[in-house]
Amino acid sequence: MRTETKNLFKGLGFISPWLIGFCAFTLIPISMSLYYSFCNYSLLQKPVFIGLDNYRELIHDPNFWTVNFNTLLYAVLALPAGLLIALALALLLNVKIRGQSVYRTLIFLPSLVPAVAAAMLWLWLFNSKLGLVNFVLRGLGMTDPPGWLTDAHWALPSLVLISFWGVGNTVVIFLAGLQDVPTELFEAADLDGAGRFQTLRHVTLPSISPVIFFNLIMGIIGTLQVFVLPFIMTQGGPGRATYLYTEYMYDNAFGYLKMGYCSAMAWLQLLVILGLTAIAFWSSKRWVHYQGK
Amino acid sequence: MSAIKWSIIVLIVIATSCLLAFGPRADESLPKNRVVIDYWEKWTGNEEAQMRVIVNDFNNTVGAQKGIFVRYVSSSTINQKTLVATAAGVPPDIAGLFDVNLVQFAAMGALEPLEDLARQHGITASYYKPVYWKGCNYNGHLWGLVSTPTVVALFYNKRILHENAAALRAAGLDPDRAPRSIDELDRYARVLTIQGSNGRVIRAGFLPMEPNWYVNYICYWFGGNFWDARSKRFTLTSPPVVKAYDWIQSYATWLGKDAMSDFRSGVGNFDSPQNAFLAGQVVMEMQGTFLANFIYNRKRSMSTVLWPRDVEMKKPAGERLRNYEWAVAPFPSAVPGLKDVAYCGFDVLAIPRGSKHKKEAFEFIAYVNRQDVMEKLNKMHCKNSPLAKVSEDFLNNHPNPYIRVFERLANSPNAQTAPQIPIMPEVVDELNALSQRISLLQVRPAKALAELQVRLQAQYDEFARQQRARGSTAY
Repeated sequence: MRTETKNLFKGLGFISPWLIGFCAFTLIPISMSLYYSFCNYSLLQKPVFIGLDNYRELIHDPNFWTVNFNTLLYAVLALPAGLLIALALALLLNVKIRGQSVYRTLIFLPSLVPAVAAAMLWLWLFNSKLGLVNFVLRGLGMTDPPGWLTDAHWALPSLVLISFWGVGNTVVIFLAGLQDVPTELFEAADLDGAGRFQTLRHVTLPSISPVIFFNLIMGIIGTLQVFVLPFIMTQGGPGRATYLYTEYMYDNAFGYLKMGYCSAMAWLQLLVILGLTAIAFWSSKRWVHYQGK
Repeated sequence: MSAIKWSIIVLIVIATSCLLAFGPRADESLPKNRVVIDYWEKWTGNEEAQMRVIVNDFNNTVGAQKGIFVRYVSSSTINQKTLVATAAGVPPDIAGLFDVNLVQFAAMGALEPLEDLARQHGITASYYKPVYWKGCNYNGHLWGLVSTPTVVALFYNKRILHENAAALRAAGLDPDRAPRSIDELDRYARVLTIQGSNGRVIRAGFLPMEPNWYVNYICYWFGGNFWDARSKRFTLTSPPVVKAYDWIQSYATWLGKDAMSDFRSGVGNFDSPQNAFLAGQVVMEMQGTFLANFIYNRKRSMSTVLWPRDVEMKKPAGERLRNYEWAVAPFPSAVPGLKDVAYCGFDVLAIPRGSKHKKEAFEFIAYVNRQDVMEKLNKMHCKNSPLAKVSEDFLNNHPNPYIRVFERLANSPNAQTAPQIPIMPEVVDELNALSQRISLLQVRPAKALAELQVRLQAQYDEFARQQRARGSTAY
């Protein structure tokens, strides 16, 4: 046997635990879900091939459009605002002051709280009658503060506000990016007489643009798949105001036993995320700057 | 090899040895020479512990004699876990399901029919109250037997009624009894409701959406149903159903949708002293038999007005009622002459398809269905009995002193379970969303019901078509 072939088998042997795991738990299930998306399948009965019927049904399903609208609205509100807040916090935490590490820890800490615990906490904070948020608002003179999670107009924005609670992860990534910016660039900007805003605009942001891009991609994926908080806190209510895409998928799969329909939804979700990611990659040529290029 | 590498290898060896020596073991408490039955149940907390008492009783008596041991695992979302386990071919031997899942699972062939085993154990239609027996049968087969049932009725706070006696009398209402019609219920509610100057509801006489557990079945009290089992068609646009939802919306129109939302958001957890009924925030509510247990556990003063429980239990049944700040009556009907209308829900023990010990599993189900065992369990759970025969001891010593009202309702010809629809979980979700939107004044009931009728009927027709395509003759 040639050395190259031997090495190939050796290599495959070493990665075989991962390879087997990947095939068994990722590749095969994903492939099967594609097949099931063309089937009537309840998990309890054998799948029956029905062609594009699941996809056709989705087009006529009003709940599908409701969850699409809600999810996109959530993403449009939560993603840019979340990135801005995380970036602002990272910039502040990058300033060398006393107790810097304490502040960094405090900002990161909430993202370590388990989602269920955070959900229970926020349920109480946003309780319109007894919650701390409305207590403070009443103290500030607001006579009729919002009903938050029980108000159809405020429920989704409330979830967006809650999503900012977990920006700690994004902040850490931004912070790492900021610390990687060469100090010579700041010195050069300083010598050229650039102010703080100009330095931010022309040095800092372009320098960390790959990090912004990474967080944007992760944000697109995360916000379009958000599940835990709305599932625990509102169960899609009131009146389906917070019914999101992944929750409807979950209901179809495990509540209504429509695995085929759910698989079709999952593939559409994948295509949408892929499409948005592709757009982000395409646009990145204009605004993402890699060092050394 | 470097010292670091050696250290890592030694650490791994030590950790592995510790794991093998002190790590998890197979359950050694399982008795040998007995068939082990896996029983998955959905309850947590008190209800889980109370069922464990029954399981232990079985294991120590009948189980020991017949060589059966029940291994009891209680966990939430048991229907989903049972679904996945059944699909994977490793189901539990017994699954404790909700009533709405029974027909769904049965329709998809996920359960074993039990009529032959039941007959062998003398469990037939005459052994059960008709409403529950009907609920356990679907498409000519028996798919499960009840573990704990419930019936809903009107709970009302006698103290608040008495405190408002003058106002109630001025409105032509009797403070010493519950309302006897929907119209009367509305009038009681108007007198007993207190709204602040800003429109906030401080106390609600009654709210159809508090709690909203049974709101989908309110049409029963209007003489209707949203499903016609004969024609297998939804009847969401039938006049009684539309009237029921109009009635639900009338409260939002009267109090204001924001006031209602605000009130409901301030209500605490069901199993807490902040429960709206326990806190006196709601004077009358539609609720099941078991509420008595929660009142006793969370606000004992409401159930020990004169004596502690042990003293009360020695009193005659009629006198026991004086010990309570609350009382129970049949939920009033909107249709004159239509009496003792009730919704009956139930938890059910079923044997999933592929169970390896079907016969032994049914021994346990039959044991739970023995009159003495059923009464013991349902006294602990504070629920009524699904069985036709009920002992005097059950009626006289039940933790809910109004158990006779519930038993009467469960025996009523106007008692109904949830409609037997194989797509029921989807129907429940749609109806829940609809009632919320109606309460938020986002839609008019007639129009929204008409839209939902078309959608749900299409869903059912498609389900039936698929089942026919698979060779089913039941659809």
